[in-house]
Amino acid sequence: MQLKRKFEKGEFAILAEIEPPKGVEISTMVSNATRVKGDVDAFVVPEMSNAVMRMSSLGGAMILQGKGMETVVQFNCRDRNRIALQADLLAAYACGITNVMAVKGEDPSFGDHHQARSVYDIDLVDLLQVVGGLQKGKDMAGIELSGSPEFLVGSTVDAGAMGKSPELVLEEMNKKMEAGTQFFITPPIFDLSAIEPFTKRVHLQQVNIIPTVLLLKSLGMARYMARNVDHIYIPDDLIRRIQKSPEKVRECVLIAAEMVNTLKAEGFSGVLLSTIGWEHKLPEILDKI
Amino acid sequence: MIVADKKPIEEIIEEVKNNEKILILGCNECVTVCEAGGKKEVGVLASALRMYFLNQSKEVKIDEITLERQCDHEYLEEIRDVMDQYDAVVSIACGVGVQFMAEKYHSTPIYPGVDTCFLGVTEERGLWTERCQACGHCILASTGGICPIARCAKRVLNGPCGGSAKGKCEIDKEIDCAWQLIIDRLEALDRLDEYEALCPLKDWSTDRAGGPRKVVREDVQQ
Repeated sequence: MQLKRKFEKGEFAILAEIEPPKGVEISTMVSNATRVKGDVDAFVVPEMSNAVMRMSSLGGAMILQGKGMETVVQFNCRDRNRIALQADLLAAYACGITNVMAVKGEDPSFGDHHQARSVYDIDLVDLLQVVGGLQKGKDMAGIELSGSPEFLVGSTVDAGAMGKSPELVLEEMNKKMEAGTQFFITPPIFDLSAIEPFTKRVHLQQVNIIPTVLLLKSLGMARYMARNVDHIYIPDDLIRRIQKSPEKVRECVLIAAEMVNTLKAEGFSGVLLSTIGWEHKLPEILDKI
Repeated sequence: MIVADKKPIEEIIEEVKNNEKILILGCNECVTVCEAGGKKEVGVLASALRMYFLNQSKEVKIDEITLERQCDHEYLEEIRDVMDQYDAVVSIACGVGVQFMAEKYHSTPIYPGVDTCFLGVTEERGLWTERCQACGHCILASTGGICPIARCAKRVLNGPCGGSAKGKCEIDKEIDCAWQLIIDRLEALDRLDEYEALCPLKDWSTDRAGGPRKVVREDVQQ
C-alpha cells in the first residue's frame, strides 16, 4: 500500500526491478531485495521479460510479499488465456499483492523457447479492462465473484521511445487510462530530451509516469544499445563519459543515480530502477539519490 | 481451398453506405467453389446493395467485376485502368485478396465482403469443413492422413483426451473425435502399432509463433 500512498500524496516513488530466478534457488533474489527494502517503495517483478523462461512474476512476488516487501506483479497476454489470467489475478490479490501491471510480453522468438506458441487470447487493453471488471466484482463471463480485488493498476507507455509519434503514444496511454491504468512505466531514459516531446503534451501532476532508469553495466553495453536498440536514445556524450572514466562501473552507477535525481526534479511521480541481473548494485545507486 | 462465408448484408451496408461509386470485386478461385465470393455472389451482392440505395433514394453507381484471382499481381493489374472510377471496393475474395488489393490500390478503401473461415473441403453442396491449419510442418504421415491439429478441439498430439466418447468430441456430439478417426484409419491401414509411437514435441515456430510467415523459393525466383 506504500506505493499507492506515495502516488496519492504526490511523493516521489522508488521502484526497483527484481528478476525471479531461472530455477528455484531464491536466496539471491531475496537477499538483493532485502538489502534495499528500506529505500524502495515496491519491487517490480518482471513476467519473463524478453520471453526468457524463469520463475513467474506471481511466484517471485509472492515470495517477496511473504517477507514483508511490497511488490508489483506483472501479467502479460502471451502465456495465458483469459481464464488463467483472471484466476492468477485473484490469486495474486488473495496472497496480498495489491499492485499489478499489465505488460505486452515479447514474442517467443526473442527468448529461449523459440518453438513456443503464444496465447494472446486477449490483448493488453482487454487485460486492463478485465482487472477493472474483477474489481467491480464480476469476471469476464459476468459471473459474480465472492470477494473482489482492489489493485493499484499499472501498465507501460512508450514515452521517450525513439521513432514513435508522441501523439500516438499519448493516444495509447489515454486508452489505457480509460481502461483503469493508474501508473505508467516508460522504456529506459538516458536523456531528458528523449521524453520531452511526450512530457510537453501531458501534465505530470495528473498522471503517474514512472521512467525506467537502466543501469548500464559497461561501455560495451552502452555502445551496443546505442547502435542496436532503435527505440532507446543514449547520447554520444554519455558514452564518451563512460569511455573516459577510469572506473567505468562506478561511473555507470553514478549516471543512473544522476538520472533519478534529474527525473525527480522534473516532477515525475517516481522511477523504476532496472539493473537486469545486477540487483546487488541497487544499494550503491540508492545511496546517491 | 480457403473457405469463406458471406458477411451479413447489414455489415456490408454499414461499410459502404457513405460511398457513391462502388465496385464489387469477386474472385474466381476458392471463394467461387465455396459459393461466397464468385461471379454469382458478386451479382447477388450488387443487386442487394442497389435495392438498399434505391430504398434510401440515393443514386449510387455499383459495378461488378470478377477476377481470376486476387492473390496475384497480374490479375489485380487488370483493373488498374478503372480503379479511379470508384471511391470504394467491396472485395468478396478471402482476406488475402482484400489485403493484396489494399496494398496495391493504396488510396482506395477496400472493404471485406466475406468472412474468411478456414482451409477445408466441400463435404457436400452447402457443407464445407475444416481440414488444415497451415501450421507449417505437416505431420499427416504419422497420423494416418488425418490432422489432429485442425480437427481436434484441443490439438492434442498423442491420442484422444478424456472427453472423447463413442467416437465423438466432448465440445459437440456432432463433431467426430479426430483421434478416433486416426485410430480407425491406422487400423484400416494395418498400422495401428504406429499409434503407440510418441509424437515429438510440436515445433510451433513454423506456425504463427514466429510472426507472419513466408516461403522463399530461390530456385523459382528470377
